[in-house]
Amino acid sequence: MSRFACVRVPHFVAAAVERVEPALSERPLAIVAGAPPATRVVEANGAARERGVLPGLTDAEARARCPGLVRRPLADEVGASARHALLEACLGVSPRVEDAGAGLVHVDIAGLGRLIGPDAAVGERLLRAARAVGLEARVGIAGSRAAARVAARLGARVNVVPPGGERRALGAAALAELELPEELAQTFRRWGLGTLGELAALPRAGVAARLGAPGLSAHDLACGQDREPFRAWAPPPFWEEAQGLEWELDALPALEAVLGRVLARLATRLEAARLWADALDVRLELAPGGHHTRAVALAAPMGEVRPMLTLLVLDLEAHPPPAPVVGVSVSARVVPRRAVAAGLWERSVPTVRDLAAVLTRLAALVGQARVGAAVLGDSHRPDAHTLGPFDPTPAGARELSEGAGVPGALVLRRLRPPREVAVETDAAGRPATVRGATSAEARVVTCAGPWRSSGEWWDGRAWARDEWDVALSDGALCRLARDERTGCWALDGVYD
Amino acid sequence: MTLDQLLRQGAVTEIVGPLCSGRTSLLAACLREVARAGGAAALIDADDAFDPASASRAGADLRRVLWVRCGGRRDAALRAADLLVRCPGFALVALDVGESPPRVSLAQAFRLRLAVRRGGAALIVVARRRVLGAGATLVVETRRRGLAWAGPRLTPTRLAGAETAVSVLRRQGAEAGGGGVMAWSA
Repeated sequence: MSRFACVRVPHFVAAAVERVEPALSERPLAIVAGAPPATRVVEANGAARERGVLPGLTDAEARARCPGLVRRPLADEVGASARHALLEACLGVSPRVEDAGAGLVHVDIAGLGRLIGPDAAVGERLLRAARAVGLEARVGIAGSRAAARVAARLGARVNVVPPGGERRALGAAALAELELPEELAQTFRRWGLGTLGELAALPRAGVAARLGAPGLSAHDLACGQDREPFRAWAPPPFWEEAQGLEWELDALPALEAVLGRVLARLATRLEAARLWADALDVRLELAPGGHHTRAVALAAPMGEVRPMLTLLVLDLEAHPPPAPVVGVSVSARVVPRRAVAAGLWERSVPTVRDLAAVLTRLAALVGQARVGAAVLGDSHRPDAHTLGPFDPTPAGARELSEGAGVPGALVLRRLRPPREVAVETDAAGRPATVRGATSAEARVVTCAGPWRSSGEWWDGRAWARDEWDVALSDGALCRLARDERTGCWALDGVYD
Repeated sequence: MTLDQLLRQGAVTEIVGPLCSGRTSLLAACLREVARAGGAAALIDADDAFDPASASRAGADLRRVLWVRCGGRRDAALRAADLLVRCPGFALVALDVGESPPRVSLAQAFRLRLAVRRGGAALIVVARRRVLGAGATLVVETRRRGLAWAGPRLTPTRLAGAETAVSVLRRQGAEAGGGGVMAWSA
């Protein structure tokens, strides 16, 4: 048996702006578009509508009807962010959702009863999910998407239509609830139709003959029948939140506050989808035009707002925008969240938040390329290593080197780059005297070697060398190397 | 004395001694102990002298060691140490300033010590001479006792190891020189 829920956010464009600026939810708000004097209201929230502000009014008329009206320009990116947020929130409840328009989501809830509970519980879960991303929604549940869509406009915030009872439950609803095109609504009024039940009682073929496709669509909606296949929505490959500003920001603390709110919304979406951000792309819209973009690689994947904000602010301190900012957008490159429980006896390691902050500060202090965990290269070339990301979590370093290596083996202190030295050899070719190593001149007391190695002759970076471990008369214990191609001697390092 | 005494949480330990006396090998042993216990360590390398290959052979788990290369900048090394000891979660923060230790005022040393105590990490400073003065909880000095070579006696083929004596120069709450001696073979 099919069961669908329809999640609907009333006055969606205004709700999207309220999501960005929560303080506006208590005040009359109108979204306006167009250049003055042709500016018109395109959407209004509930408080504004109570005062007579409706879409289509001119800006001047709207202000005349409601003196305390707050107006915001229509911003497509804000609406798009809210639309994605709603879809992702619903996706956290059911794996099959359909994007039915701005602020309208169809959710296939068949089979969720065993997981969540009765239909009303599923509806409440959807309401909570929408609220978590900052949107107040209504939910209708019925046997078809069309009936659920009508149910979402009627009755309680969660309106459950019992299976098979769609016609009886929705028949008395006024036709105005369908928000039909004005021309079609006038035709139905002329025909004397006032409720969905009266429209549904008309013969389908007759409606099609007289009104064509729009009439058929309205008739199907009234009958609660779905004629189109369910088009499942998949999450987009990008995660972005944005906020436009009415004023210009030229100070970092003020920008930090805006970034914090944008990141909070982004983090909520990531939380709903069980994802972490691995890197953030910040795009600041500048007042004179143009953009200031920064790509901030996070030290470790994370979903918490505070460390992400700290990293963004530190980066913007180092690379400030060249002009006042009038718009902010942040997008995240995401990775699946890793859930690992630490063992009872495992030593604590730095938390992701602390580690990210300290790594960023260290990178600012000594350079990004000079901080990390050493990774030995797959080569016999001396000092073959790279610096990789430092991840001390149990999952990052799962295979602990219990008993690895030789306890107490001698450790070398390298000279980077190796220091050229002058070496005199004996008749057998072994080092006898070394000049310029750890003292002006020292006699070789004992030496071991040579350890001969070579490699990469196949790709033009060939190297060949003999290594000697020598104990000098000044007490130093060194590793010398002779380049077989040039015959030069160098001090690789000292054993310490 | 044992390695555990060098790795006491919230304590500042200095390992001092001349070049080739076994200071770095002793530090690598401490890194190994931290890795065995599943902890994380940070190594602030003032001179870019750390050799990952030989440290790995000595048992250090390089994945658990955050290597901060300071390129010879002593001030950056001290500031990095200050940042790291304030980051909770590190079992060991090692500051290797090598042959030319920076000058640290007593006030700076005690501030660092206070930060270490609050952060809970063990701070080990490796240097030719003492750096933190009375700010150090424990100071040990390394001296090389002897070398072991493998192969024929006249023409050895490899350096097998070294023996290091570790003596206590200062232990907070104890008289100087009264901390005992550890023989360390590397």
